[in-house]
Order: sequence, then C-alpha cells, then structure tokens
Amino acid sequence: MSTTVEELDDDSPVHPGEHHTHGPSTSTYFTIFWVLVAITALEVSTYFWSSWFGDGSHYPAVVLLVVMMVVKFILIASFFMHLRFDSKLLSRIFYFGLLVAMMVYVAALATMNIFTDNGNPWFNDPPPAVTTTTVAPAGG
Amino acid sequence: MADIALEPVEDLEFPDDTHATSTGISNTKMAMWVYLASDCLLFGGLISTYLLYKNRPGSIPGLAGSPLKASELFNIPFTSMTSFILLMSSLTMVLAVNAVMGGDHKRMRLWLSATCVLGGLFLAGQVYEFTEFVREGLGYTSNVSASAFYTLTGFHGAHVAIGIIMLFSAVGYSFRKQLQAEAVEVLGLYWHFVDIVWVVIFAIVYLIP
Repeated sequence: MSTTVEELDDDSPVHPGEHHTHGPSTSTYFTIFWVLVAITALEVSTYFWSSWFGDGSHYPAVVLLVVMMVVKFILIASFFMHLRFDSKLLSRIFYFGLLVAMMVYVAALATMNIFTDNGNPWFNDPPPAVTTTTVAPAGG
Repeated sequence: MADIALEPVEDLEFPDDTHATSTGISNTKMAMWVYLASDCLLFGGLISTYLLYKNRPGSIPGLAGSPLKASELFNIPFTSMTSFILLMSSLTMVLAVNAVMGGDHKRMRLWLSATCVLGGLFLAGQVYEFTEFVREGLGYTSNVSASAFYTLTGFHGAHVAIGIIMLFSAVGYSFRKQLQAEAVEVLGLYWHFVDIVWVVIFAIVYLIP
C-alpha cells in the first residue's frame, strides 16, 4: 500500500516525515528579534506620553500600543512559531481560538461598561442608598 | 486458499519517527496547537478580569479593602528589562530548534540551557516585583484589583516555571538519548506562546494607562 502525501493534505507545505529545514535562516531570526526589541522600546516610550503631550491626550498612545502589541504578536507567531511556514491548518486552529476568546471577552467587557464608564451603577459601583419607610400601625 | 504476505508495519512509506495522520501534521504538534488555542481563553479571562477591576480597588460593598492599585506601584524600567529578557529567551529557543533541525545536538543543548537561564531570570524578576508590592502594602487579598493582578501575572509565571521544568528535562534527557527534533519544536511552541502572552500582558496591564 502506498499513500502519497498529496492525498493527505493538499494545501500543507509540511509533509509527514519531513524535518522543517525550510524555515527562516538564523540571520532572519536575529532580524526579527531586533525588530521586536525596537518595537518594545517604542512601547515603553509611550509610558511618558502624558508628560510630553499632557494628561488628556493618552488615547493616541493607547491605539499605538495596541497596534504595536498586535505587530509583535504576529511576528512571534509567524516567524518564531513557524506559522508562516507550517500547514495553514495550524494557523486556522490558533487564530480561530484567539478570535473566539477575543469576541467572548470583548462582549463580556462591553456588557460590564468597561468601554463606556458612564457612572452606570449596574456593575461594581456602590449600590444606591437604601431608603427605609415606616408604616404607621393600622387603626392608630 | 492462497497465502497472503502481510507487509510489516515498519516497511510502510512513512519514514523514521512519524505517523500517518489525515492532516499530514503529527498528533503531538496538533495537540500542542489546540492546547495553545484553548490557553488563549484562559488568559483572555484573566486579562478581562484585571481590566474590570484595575481601577476599582475598593468598590465591592463588604470587600472594600485597601484603596491602593497595582498600577500605582509599577516599576516600568524594571519590567521593560524583564520583558527584554523573555524576548531574548524566545530567540535562544528558536536557535535551539534551528540547531536540532540541522542535527547539531550539542548546540541545541547550549541554546536550551540559555533559554532555561533567561526564563529563570524572568521568574526571579517577577518574584522581586511581587515582594516589592507586598512590602508596599499590596498583598494578594488587599483588594479585588490586587487579586486580579496577582492571579493574572502569577498564572503567567506558573506557565514560565512549567516551561523551565520541561526545558531542564529536555536538556537532561538529551544527554541520555537523542531528542527528536519534533519534541524540541513542540517545546519551542509552548515557550513562544508564553512570550506572546507576556507581550499582551506587558502592553495591556503595564503600559496602557
């Protein structure tokens, strides 16, 4: 019996029994590492954002931080974890799990007013003061 | 009835240490990826909990506790250094995987040991940070914000500690028997995931105001 690799998975660049020597070279790994270090340095610099631009202007810093975080995430997953060079199925499994997690938690956080801190006492704020009423005894 | 010559299993066309799977991906590697995808849910839950409570340290009636927030005690230069150390450990890990793929087991051991040391340094930094926070009066049960912070970073630290134990075991095992390239690769996947989670924690917990 002979089973060819093509019968197993057409879109997979990884075949059973192969060692993955087709990944990036050592110099590519070092390049990615230094890019990651540079992005981390930029991230840390946003910590001083409010001292440069004033207290009320931190929203651009938050957007920048999220973008840089996503870039770092993708670089590590693609190159260090070899997702870019491995079977597409693995990327689908990992990114699907990540997407589901993000959707679940963004929805949960939204229902708890984390994005709109408008003083709604529904979650976590102190409960409204309890008012007591005295009922006059009947027939008095 | 004619005799049927059965082909020994060893003679099938899947070489060496691999098994035939319908996806063409080994079960070990697939299992690790599925585990990592599910771990996203765990850390997603812990990060969400921290985000909910970070600015509400004493807001649950009956559980007021200390008004101190973990974010008031962050030492960003120090945490940046530990983040750099963890990034460096990812580089040494990927170099270990590269070495074993090329059949260089001596160099693989060297890079795996370096990853162990760097992981240990990161953990030491985390222990130092926690100790400083407790000294400042922020214990695990000081308030809900502190509990959420310690649980999140503590779970990450536990993942790093488990990674270090696995790396040590791999280095020790490699002296007795030759490690399979795929075993090191799967170990590397776990280690890089720990690094990825820290990338998210560092940005969301430490840097976003």
